[in-house]
Amino acid sequence: MEQFLEKLAEILEVDSVKREDILTEFDEWDSLTLLSIIAAIDSDFNLNISAEQISSFTTVGDLLKYIDSNKN
Amino acid sequence: MDFQFKNKKISGILTILPKREVLFEDNISNYSFSHAKSMKLKLAMGYNKQRIAEDGVCSSDLAKFGLEYLINNNLLEKEEIDALIFVSQSPDQFLPPTSNILHGHLDLKQDTLCIDINQGCAGYIIGLQQAFMLLDQDAVKKVVLVVADVLSSKVSKRDRNSYPLIGDAASITIIENDENFSDIFCSIKMDGNGADVLQIPAGGFKMPSNEETAEMVEDDNGNYRSLNNLVMQGDKVFNFVQTEVPPMIKKILERSNTDKDEIDYYLFHQPNRFMLQKLADKIGVDRGKLPSNIVENFGNSSGVTIPTNISYNLGNNLEKNIYNVCLSGFGVGLTWGAIVMKLGRVKFNKIIEF
Repeated sequence: MEQFLEKLAEILEVDSVKREDILTEFDEWDSLTLLSIIAAIDSDFNLNISAEQISSFTTVGDLLKYIDSNKN
Repeated sequence: MDFQFKNKKISGILTILPKREVLFEDNISNYSFSHAKSMKLKLAMGYNKQRIAEDGVCSSDLAKFGLEYLINNNLLEKEEIDALIFVSQSPDQFLPPTSNILHGHLDLKQDTLCIDINQGCAGYIIGLQQAFMLLDQDAVKKVVLVVADVLSSKVSKRDRNSYPLIGDAASITIIENDENFSDIFCSIKMDGNGADVLQIPAGGFKMPSNEETAEMVEDDNGNYRSLNNLVMQGDKVFNFVQTEVPPMIKKILERSNTDKDEIDYYLFHQPNRFMLQKLADKIGVDRGKLPSNIVENFGNSSGVTIPTNISYNLGNNLEKNIYNVCLSGFGVGLTWGAIVMKLGRVKFNKIIEF
């Protein structure tokens, strides 16, 4: 999961992300970022997630929790 | 579902591209996004140049131009066309079928079967499958498959989701019998539950176009489009492709007794570079074997991208050599399909401009 956080930081173009960070408050938060996150989750966890689902999460931690409980 | 065909080949491919070239940068100011964000999108998706037909140019205009080119250059004889299949989502009119319009324009014989098929991104696979089936009839010796789309006029210029990738094009593929070619394996699947994932809501009989359907509305992501415009749920398309296409490829390779490394080229529909690279990774093939350069050079012309891919990336090498290829198309419907076959020693494989 730490590796995924690093990848997330890269996608969001920040030095690091914390679990309590609010997703929509990142400057880079847009539909392309969403797609990049969907692709990263697909390749790292073999897990499909929709843009709608991601948008329903408030924090990075919410997203990680979802991945944790659904990954294969 | 699975299909298998014997003693058939593709004997020529001609791709017709509109001359007008539009650059991604030309339209950046139409999108409600910062320049930097749009450039990031360009880099990730591989957006650059698009071929857009001049206003008023129909699918049939591109098709006529290509068919006349083949006839005038003695690459196709009118009398030998036993079936004319026209695959498109942008027919000239609701009726008659555009294939019949082409039949009349070329003054073809009465013993020519004309069929229009409404299919998009998987249209080349569906068209080939229909052509192969027709060739099992004694009366059918040669099938001309025309795939053409001029959807750019249906995409909102203020839709950063779809406009940067759209392209117009047509292609003509000749399919005939040949006992020297090995078996062709084909697989096609459908999921109508995803029929709304890629659609043009208005303009048909259910919701005719009027002033109301032309009203431009902003979506959650800052894109503007009307009900007359093409609308795509990009994330759903992405997930659908990554979920359904790799297992289909795996299965068809198994069925055809082909190792994935024995395939020389994976010639896939071209939605954008991002999706194709992820697809190559997931299937486990070298990205170099799965070309993803059509959107950046010409745009995504739905069903025409596979023949464009073949014409652009293999060119006249295909006249001398024979390759093991895996074709795959996926999108509107939802429809997805794949073909494993030998492709080569064709009479022609080239691009011309309209």
